[in-house]
Amino acid sequence: MWQMPWGYPESIAITAGIVFVGFMLQITIKGFNFYLLTSPVNLVVGALIISLCLLTLALKKSKFLSWFTGVPFSVCIISALLVLTLIMGLTPQTASGSANTNDNFFVLLGFNNMIGSWPFILIYFTTLLSLGSLIVRRLAKFKIKDWGFYLNHIGLWLVLFAGGLGHADMERYIMHVREGEVEWRVYDDEGTVKELPIAIQLNDFDMEEYPPKLTIIDKTTGEPQPLSAPDYYQIDTKAPTGKLDGWVLEMNEYIHQAVRNSDSTYRKAPMPGATPAAYITMTNPSTGEVCKGWVCGGNQAQLYKTLELNEQHTVVMTVTEPKRFMSDIEVYTPDGTTKSAILEVNHPLRIGGWTIYQYGYDNAAGRLSSYSSMELVYDPWIVPVYIGFIMIALGAVAMIVRGHSPNRKTLLTD
Amino acid sequence: MNWDTFIWFALPAMILWASAGIVVYRKKSKVLADILMIAGISIYTLFIIGFWINIERPPLRTMGETRLWYSFFLSVVGYVTYRRWKYPWLLSFSALVASVFICINLFKPEIHSKNLMPALQSIWFIPHVTSYILSYAMFGAATVGAFVQLRKINRKGLSDKKIFDLLDNLVYVGFGFLALGMLMGCVWAKEAWGHYWTWDPKETWAFVTSMGYLAYIHLRLQGEKREKVALWLLPVALILLLITWIGVNYLPSAQGSIHVY
Ligand code: HEM
Repeated sequence: MWQMPWGYPESIAITAGIVFVGFMLQITIKGFNFYLLTSPVNLVVGALIISLCLLTLALKKSKFLSWFTGVPFSVCIISALLVLTLIMGLTPQTASGSANTNDNFFVLLGFNNMIGSWPFILIYFTTLLSLGSLIVRRLAKFKIKDWGFYLNHIGLWLVLFAGGLGHADMERYIMHVREGEVEWRVYDDEGTVKELPIAIQLNDFDMEEYPPKLTIIDKTTGEPQPLSAPDYYQIDTKAPTGKLDGWVLEMNEYIHQAVRNSDSTYRKAPMPGATPAAYITMTNPSTGEVCKGWVCGGNQAQLYKTLELNEQHTVVMTVTEPKRFMSDIEVYTPDGTTKSAILEVNHPLRIGGWTIYQYGYDNAAGRLSSYSSMELVYDPWIVPVYIGFIMIALGAVAMIVRGHSPNRKTLLTD
Repeated sequence: MNWDTFIWFALPAMILWASAGIVVYRKKSKVLADILMIAGISIYTLFIIGFWINIERPPLRTMGETRLWYSFFLSVVGYVTYRRWKYPWLLSFSALVASVFICINLFKPEIHSKNLMPALQSIWFIPHVTSYILSYAMFGAATVGAFVQLRKINRKGLSDKKIFDLLDNLVYVGFGFLALGMLMGCVWAKEAWGHYWTWDPKETWAFVTSMGYLAYIHLRLQGEKREKVALWLLPVALILLLITWIGVNYLPSAQGSIHVY
């Protein structure tokens, strides 16, 4: 051991050493505060890492560097990442990894906040250095046929570099805007209020709902029947029959947006307080009993309505599930640009450096929610990360199309 | 076309795929396998087009509609990958898994209309999941191959170069699909939740799994060295993969995960 060229024993020893030092640091000075890395500190650290990687060019013949950028050490780093994240996957993570007084051993070692623990941070920086130097070394002997290698490794390095160092520069806030009002105050994840140079006006909040389900419940317990495996009929005008707990259900009429008439019937009325209602016929094949009537789930504006079958059982409608919810908004920025958009889950709005997401609404009120919650995200490092994504994706295509290169032995000897 | 007519397209497609998956093992009927497979895919595609026109929106909303696309992409990508790598089981396997999703749609029709929550209504949903399924298929096959190879080594003291070629190719192709699946997941998460990686338990486990296969890829770069370690890595990585896929929901660390499926 420790005779150049180094192989697996040395690589394992050094990787284990790095992790050990990490644990020592963790026990003595507690977790690594990622927010130390806000701009410009991260820029300085990033420049330092790049310079160290470029040093490879001057030390081409160094035996140490060819080990540091070689296969055995890379396998060990990858394994270390595997083991640390495996522990992370088995240990419930807490947001800040804050230590309690009744700290157990795992908390002391930082297992409950792995990403912010010293072993992980040290391995992360080692990966950036080793992978970066490898890329520099290989780019110095650029060969076009190595394109798959370049795409995968440069792409991953970019993602690790920009994603990790840029993390602290990211800002995320929640904004609640009432219908018809303009808002610029936001809350960060600790609940502190902040004012942003962005203002959002909510013209309208709207929601589409899926047709609800029908089920039979026990009137005293409220439990859906049969207890062992409750039957539900998913309302579907194209399939208007179903079976519920031994009863045959026939749906005669369905109104997705209904309001109640004075006489316990329903009519169509597309307005905010409307709720689904169904007119159904329930037949009990064994007794021949027939019950008919309207069933409605109700909401904050209307009472629910059930169809009684007997002393014990009644047909009810479940609460609706949201299909889409959207905010009709207008966004104002200090330089005078305004943008209007219909914000929806999976369809955010980009303006300036910000991205605005549909986040939530008043769950109890559902469609009748008088406000809409949006998330505002500022992520200045997203571009290099996405460039990395594209490179890895192309590298992945290279792997799918080409498979492993059979002549890599020649590649590894030089 | 609607779910009532589905069976008249699904059944012929499955029969064609199954026949292709069987005749592909006979040296002389490779062309026949191609024809059968393409015919099956065409019939199936015809249904999707007709269904799309009938419901007047892209069929991307319900679970049943999602499974429709799984089967489609599995058969297409499986076929293309088979043409590239010429491993007949690739064709049979993707035909089989595609048929499983069809059968779920045929025999469990009540879950056709299981409602998709808004976050799942994304163009990334299907390619993201299909890509993962394909990578799981490759990795599953690689694990079987690893045991065959380990037995060879134990018996003869020597590994079979051909098997290693197959294993390496499978892991490379599988890792390619795994990486694509993860990247699509990242882009989707950014669109839906504002960040591409939050170390959610499912994401953490996906990372662990990918490190397992990455270790294999790099360990294998030095050819003959550490063959057995590399081979044992494959079943270990498959266990990690299975935990990612189905086990995560049962872990205490996963309470409150955004991945509910
Ligand atoms: C997306 C992730 C990665 C993929 C897909 C990947 C894939 C590959 C492939 C296919 C090769 C063979 C190169 C060739 O045949 O031209 C290779 C080589 C190599 N990779 Fe990676 N890799 C990844 C990440 C990493 C990481 C994180 C490290 C280091 C910590 C690393 C270190 C190495 C080393 C040292 C070599 C040998 C290259 C040489 O000695 O010239 N790779 N990688």
